[in-house]
Formats: sequence, C-alpha cells, structure tokens
Amino acid sequence: MSEIAVAALLVGTILVASMVSVEIGLSVALIELLLGVVVANAFDLGVPTWLAFLGSFAGIVLTFQAGAEVDVPQFKREWRASLSIGLVSFFAPFAVVGLVCYYALGWDHRQAEIGGLALSTTSLAVVYAVLVETGLNRELVGKRLMSATFVTDIATVAGLTVLFVKPTPWAIPFVVASVALIVGLPRGAPWFFGRYGNRVIEPEIKLVFASLFLLMWLGERANSQAALPAFILGLVMSSHYTRHRTEQERMRVVSFAFLTPFFFLKGGMSVDAAALWASLGTLGVLFVAKMVPKFGGVYPLARRYTAPHATFTTLLMSTGLTFGTITSLYGLNAGIIDRTQFSLLIAVVVLSAIVPTAIAQHFFEPRVGTGSTRRGDQSVAAMAPAPEGEGVRG
Amino acid sequence: MPFGRILVAIDGSECSDHAFAKALELAKLADAHVTALAVEGPLPAYAATVGEVDEVKREKDMFFRSLAAEALRRGDEAGVAIDVDVRPGHAAEVISRVAEEGGYDLVVLGHRGHFVRDRLLGSTADRVAEHAPCPVMIVR
Repeated sequence: MSEIAVAALLVGTILVASMVSVEIGLSVALIELLLGVVVANAFDLGVPTWLAFLGSFAGIVLTFQAGAEVDVPQFKREWRASLSIGLVSFFAPFAVVGLVCYYALGWDHRQAEIGGLALSTTSLAVVYAVLVETGLNRELVGKRLMSATFVTDIATVAGLTVLFVKPTPWAIPFVVASVALIVGLPRGAPWFFGRYGNRVIEPEIKLVFASLFLLMWLGERANSQAALPAFILGLVMSSHYTRHRTEQERMRVVSFAFLTPFFFLKGGMSVDAAALWASLGTLGVLFVAKMVPKFGGVYPLARRYTAPHATFTTLLMSTGLTFGTITSLYGLNAGIIDRTQFSLLIAVVVLSAIVPTAIAQHFFEPRVGTGSTRRGDQSVAAMAPAPEGEGVRG
Repeated sequence: MPFGRILVAIDGSECSDHAFAKALELAKLADAHVTALAVEGPLPAYAATVGEVDEVKREKDMFFRSLAAEALRRGDEAGVAIDVDVRPGHAAEVISRVAEEGGYDLVVLGHRGHFVRDRLLGSTADRVAEHAPCPVMIVR
C-alpha cells in the first residue's frame, strides 16, 4: 500500500473513531487505540515513519497538556495528604511489576523497569471524569484523589526521564534549556501572547510546539527523554492557561484534531494481536501484578485520608491509560522492549483503564448531594439562554 | 384530575420534540403542570486527557442550557405551567426515578433518542415503559 493510501486509511480510521466515540460514549483515545490494533492486523500494516514521528511528538504534547491540566493551587493545599497516597501508588506497583517481569517472566532489567513504569501509572483523566460525574471533584476526597494522581504521574515521568538516561555531554544543554524554558516561558508568555496571540495563525501554539521540539531534540542527543521537562513546563504554564481558557481550548483543538489521534493509533498499530493472544496467561500475571500492590499500598492510606471512600479511591488510583501508553511506546521506540512485551503492557494498561473504573462506578460510587441525583439537582428554570453554538446531545 | 402532573423527557431530538409538543397539548387540555426533564448522558468513559472530559462537559452544559431555555419558552408560549430539570445519569434510570419520586401521573417521551448508545441496552422508551410507576406515553 502506498504511503498516501496508508495516510488516507488512517485518517479515515480516526474519523470513524470520533464518530463511534460520540455514538457510544467511550473515550475517543481508547477507540483509536483499539481501531489501531484492528487496522494494523487486518491490513498487515507496520507503523510508517511519518506516523512514528508524529506519534512521538504527540506523546510529548500529551505530557505537556497533562502538566498544564494540574490544578496547582489545589495541589498546594492537599499535597501532604496526597503525597503518601501518590508515592505509594507509584512505587508499590513499580517494584512488584518490575520484580515479576525480571524474575517470573525473564525480562532483562531495563525491560522490567519499562514494565514497572508503564503499570505504575494512574490515569488523571479517567479519575477526573469519574469525579466530575459524581460531583466528588468539589469534595475533599476528590481533591485529594486528583492531587495524589498528580504525584503518581510526576513520579512516572521522572522515572521515564531519569532511569534510562545514558549521559552524554549533551545532557548539559538539555538541562540548561529545560530550566531556561521552565523559568522563562511563564514569565515571557504574557508579553508574547499579548503581542502575537489571539490570531488565527496561532503564534502561541507554535511557541509551545517549538519549545517541545527543542526539548525532544536535546533530550534525544542527551540519550534521555523530554517527558519530565515537558510535564513541568506544562505545570508552570497551568496558571497562565487558567487565566486564558481560550488559549488552552485552541491548544486542545489542535491536539485532538491532529496529534493525539496519531499517538493512540500508533500505539494500537504497534500491538501484535497474535502474540497477545498467545500470551494471555502472562497478561493475567501482569494485570494482577499491577492491581495487587496498588490495593495493598493505597488502601490503608486511603482509609486514613479519604474515608469513607477508601475502596473507591483505591480502585480509581489503580486506573491507567495515557502515561502507561507513553511509557510503553517509549520502551518500544527505544528498542528496550519487543512487540510482544509492548502488546502485553498496552493490553494491561487498557484493562486497567476499564476494569477498576467499572467496578468503582458500579459498586462503590459515592452519592453526593441531596435528592436522587448524583450531582445534585440542576434546576434550570431560571437559567439564561446559552450562547449560540453547537452543543453535544445527550 | 387524571393527569395533574406530567413529566416529559427532552433531549433535543426530533422524536423528543414531538413528545414535548404532545405533552404541552395534553397539559393544556387537562390544565396540568409539566416538568421537562433533560438527562445529561455520561461523560466519555475511560478518557485519555482531562481536556477531552472538560470540553465534552462544557459542550453538554451549553447544549442543555439552551435546551432548557427553549423548553421554558415553548411552555410559556403555550400557556402551560412548566419547569425544567436537568440531571446527569442514564436516561431510562433517571426518568423512571424522577417519575416515582415526583409522584407524576404521566410520563411522555419520544420513541427514539439521538445515539447508538441510547439503544445499546434496549431503547430508553422500552425501559421507561417497563419501570415507570405511572402510565407512559411513547410518541412517534
């Protein structure tokens, strides 16, 4: 199949994924991932070079956005209670999965580290969606949960950047550029965005993309990974985006329309369905290796800090999706893990997004507010008409 | 009075529009009070980014505000006493529960919703007809 035919097929797949997402109410990323598996295995397609490149950049953009979406003032208020849950939520599965991979599955130590990192994550977005639906995002338990998730996430990106570094002299410019951007961008942004922003040519998005590409290039030269500085860069820009929601929305539009679909499609296309089918036992072992330490580690702390919702908290802290995918793809691209190992890790990551969330929502979801509704009544008798614009239905 | 309190489900679809019109007609004849109930479906399950959740939530809120305002306007135009209630959750479950808790005499709804997910576990109309504690009128 020619390159343009592959591109047409993949963009068509992305379109179908969006439509299916709206129709059935599932996250578009998950559907892109699953359709990636289907398309690659049905058409016997490999990942084209351009997709690998776009996907890698999209992974860094996702990491930046994850940082930018952290509620920093809330984290400052809740960090003491969240730190222990977040750190245990990272280190317990990291250690157990790493040991299981190394001793029980015979992976080498770098492969075991990738396995441990990929399965130690907690999905901020999965947690956030459940909290918003239940109204718990406004309660103390929800705030602590979000902050703990942030701690787990930053531990993951730090591990990804630090564990696999093989220092070269380029590490110095990498660190210098990272620090300069992290310190300089939030300070320079108001001036830059004021002078060049608010235009259809989007200089503010280009500034962020240029910064991320610079970090990726220097990170590659330094034999490291740009995840940590990209995440922190997002983090320091979060207060700017809180004040300028339109900029954040535009960034999301560009990202959702053109970048993240390729990232998740690439993830799905790299899965070897046959190898996965042949290793279902290992899949079960890895899933248990993620869930048991998450439960064993988080539950006792959750009983202390998020009672009476300890089981609900523990289940949500056991979810994973984006950073698990980013870590697994990094391991595959860097040649640390093979396709079978990657397929196993992605499958466990997807399962961990679905299984604990479904159990938490069906059996342990707290009811918030009065009356019968989970978010509290939203009587709109006195609501003003909404601004013009197309909304989603249902 | 046979139908003093009518609950009508609205979701902006053509079928729900017909149902709403029928509910207003009936309310005028019976001098009944109408509650228009809009059920916000769930947010995208297993989202990968906070942005995806935020944007869908924002779009839903905007859509349902507009839907509620339109329902109030049509109720006022028809000279019917009306209020609007927007709730999150799964449509069939919420409609049946509100009908029971509010002591409604009649539930009116369209036979089909917008999306495939509305039909995945059987249609909302079928499930409300099965579980509602009062008569149910399904409008085509």
